[in-house]
Amino acid sequence: MTRIDATAQRGFDRVLGAENVISDRARLRSYECDGLTGYRVIPALVLLPRTAEQVAAAVRVCAEHGITFVARGAGTGLSGGALPVADGVVISLQRLRRVLAVDPVDRLAVLEPGVTNLEITKAAAPYGLYYAPDPSSQQVCTIGGNVAENSGGAHCLKYGFTTNHVLALEVVLADGSVVTLGGDTTEQLGPDLRGVFLGSEGTLGIATKVTVRLLRTPEAVRTLLADFPSVAAAGEVVSDIIAGGIVPAAVEMMDTLAIEAAEAAVCAGYTLGVPAALVVELDGPAQECHNQFERVKAICEAHGCTRLHIAADAEERAAIWRGRKSAFAAVGRISPDYFVQDGVVPRTRLAEVLSRIGEMGEAVGLRVANVFHAGDGNLHPLVLYDASAGETARAEKLSAEIAELCVELGGSLSGEHGIGTDKACSMPKMFSEADLELMGRVRDAFDPGGLCNPGKLLPTPRLCGERPGKYRPHPLEAAGVIERL
Amino acid sequence: MTIATVLRPTSLAEAAAALADTTGSVRIVGAGTAADWAGSPEPADVVLSTTALTGVIVHNPGDMTVAVRAGTPLRELNAMLAVHGQRVASDAARVDLGATIGGLVATADAGPSALVYGCLRDLVIGATVMLADGTVARTGGHVIKNVAGYDLAKLVHGCHGTLALIAELVLRLHPLPGATSTVRLIGSLADSAEAARAVLASPLEPVACEWSNGALLVRLAGTPGALPARLATLLGSAARRLDAAEQEAAWAAHAALVAGPGSRPHVDRAVLRVGARPSRLPAVIAELTSELGATGVTAGLATGVGTVTLPADPDVVARAHQLVYGVGGSSMLRSRPPGCVAPAWGPAPSAIEVLRAVQAELDPRGRLGAGRFHPWM
Repeated sequence: MTRIDATAQRGFDRVLGAENVISDRARLRSYECDGLTGYRVIPALVLLPRTAEQVAAAVRVCAEHGITFVARGAGTGLSGGALPVADGVVISLQRLRRVLAVDPVDRLAVLEPGVTNLEITKAAAPYGLYYAPDPSSQQVCTIGGNVAENSGGAHCLKYGFTTNHVLALEVVLADGSVVTLGGDTTEQLGPDLRGVFLGSEGTLGIATKVTVRLLRTPEAVRTLLADFPSVAAAGEVVSDIIAGGIVPAAVEMMDTLAIEAAEAAVCAGYTLGVPAALVVELDGPAQECHNQFERVKAICEAHGCTRLHIAADAEERAAIWRGRKSAFAAVGRISPDYFVQDGVVPRTRLAEVLSRIGEMGEAVGLRVANVFHAGDGNLHPLVLYDASAGETARAEKLSAEIAELCVELGGSLSGEHGIGTDKACSMPKMFSEADLELMGRVRDAFDPGGLCNPGKLLPTPRLCGERPGKYRPHPLEAAGVIERL
Repeated sequence: MTIATVLRPTSLAEAAAALADTTGSVRIVGAGTAADWAGSPEPADVVLSTTALTGVIVHNPGDMTVAVRAGTPLRELNAMLAVHGQRVASDAARVDLGATIGGLVATADAGPSALVYGCLRDLVIGATVMLADGTVARTGGHVIKNVAGYDLAKLVHGCHGTLALIAELVLRLHPLPGATSTVRLIGSLADSAEAARAVLASPLEPVACEWSNGALLVRLAGTPGALPARLATLLGSAARRLDAAEQEAAWAAHAALVAGPGSRPHVDRAVLRVGARPSRLPAVIAELTSELGATGVTAGLATGVGTVTLPADPDVVARAHQLVYGVGGSSMLRSRPPGCVAPAWGPAPSAIEVLRAVQAELDPRGRLGAGRFHPWM
């Protein structure tokens, strides 16, 4: 199993202490996959540093011996971004979990990478502040992982993604050197390398310190749950809200199957059997929030809303969100297995993509439940299947085809889960050879030896076979939106 | 010195040819509103103007996105978008001077409302860039939420004409605010910083909070209603809500300070852009004023971003950089008189080796923007 030579192993033991270097196969197994459990690889070693200095020292040992490394936070990623490499090491950041500073005056927090997303808001709450990005896994996912994936969440329509909230990063590069990207403000000293690192999925280095902006907790929050006779009607509501100049904090949609699953799991008060349910949340100064909420209610009613439930208090609001956030896991109640997709389409094409997904599912005899961030067009189709009935390959193919359909409709392969191992081979559907080569050059600039999280994000012949041959026009190119020279 | 060839491509293909078919050094220029920012450009063999790479490629009002050629002035783009009740939410001071969207991105420029809407780096969702050899590459896409691949639009945000030509940009749009109002409170910078803290601790969510010309200006946006009254109450009886004309004049005066006296030959002052933690900015500015003769101050009391005008003296500017660096801030020289040899940058950032490596990968011959990051690279 172990392909790490003895000198390197001694190097890791020396910088971390032997008790913090896992080589026992049974213990290594708990690191073999992330949230995308279909891919599993047992690493040669798992390293458990406690400090940024130890991370840098461990990376220097890797660099010296040409050993690849994969950084890992909570392992909640859904694209195989933290999948180990068999002859490499996993560097777990779970022990770097101190909140180093919360500054209520400058409204920022300085964090070690293993701090969970929710802990940031907990640390900021006494000052009336919070950290805005809120991925569904926020109770366990770490800020280091959020940085790697540029995580979003239900509220990113109004508040943006991790990249919009991170001011500075301390990063250990592939040679073990430590640099700071970004600074105390958004003023830049040259190109925004901070922004390049955000969402680079662990392929450019390891973040060991993260400075994030904190926002003031909004004065008012209003949340409603509305049922509609069709997905199209719910989609029109979203369009009208946006066209009305309202930027909701969140707009989420669930279809019949997703509602059925969520109700089976948490009984959150959603209506069984309705074709579509919308969760709309507004926040801001009380009067402003109230005025806009009245307009949203009117828009819902104008589109044939069959039930309008307004959260009367924090508890009812939490129930609505519990239903929405439980939907992924809840699908286990109605199907033995499922794949989650993460494609994005322009919001105006939501109805079209959903009907196409429905047809594609029917054609191969598989059900697809839909939960999505309707405000920004980020879909999470859940392809339901039964592995024991031999449906895995079919489901996997359908899932990949759905992601690629999103690209065809002018969207993206991934809105927030990342490319990782899962979608690396689909990247040529979205990007040309020149686009990917440029990304490769940037990767080489940060990590010339290719030691950081190899095999993720960019397609490789090893992973995907030889590069796809003949170039096929990008859909936007065919539509005349972009041109290829 | 030979005279540079000036090329003004009108399409992506012509721009690519302009790079692929020439050799030697290239200086990229847009409207020229920031030509004298950052390091002084070295003489170039080719001057590549983006001013004919203009126009909207596609605007999707329902999706609130627009794809535009980089030489389009943002002022013109926003006038077109306003018909649809939308805008690119950047209020950088030089937008009104005709700055192009590509130039604003290349210089990482931002205005007071970056407090809420972010900088252009937060609004760009896709880009088409061109490397020094004419290679065309795309990054991002046409949807606001997208994590596929590296976000290389960030790499050209603040590149100052190095690394790659920005040819096209895709931007996310915001609705035009229903109404904008401004409350002014006359006072010193230190007192205004205190008042700003109270505003930021309140639930009023100001979109801008700046000190300039001896007063705190707090801007609110949204549906007209009770907010300005609440703000005025919060700031006390000395605070006054400005009428529309006063509001426009106050912010125009602020923008004029940010733009500085300009680079006319008889002017011997230079504009320094400063970023420091909001709590540290007032003291930094006080020191720049008392020790180095800074005038024309604007101070973003919530963003930590300010501008000052300094004597265009190399020693003074170098000391100003050190002073800002000393509190963990960052600084860059903007407009300065022709021939001014004051250093554009302070101490190099810790990631300078990465930046050099990126340049070596993207522009191995160093064709683009030589001098802009002198003496770092």
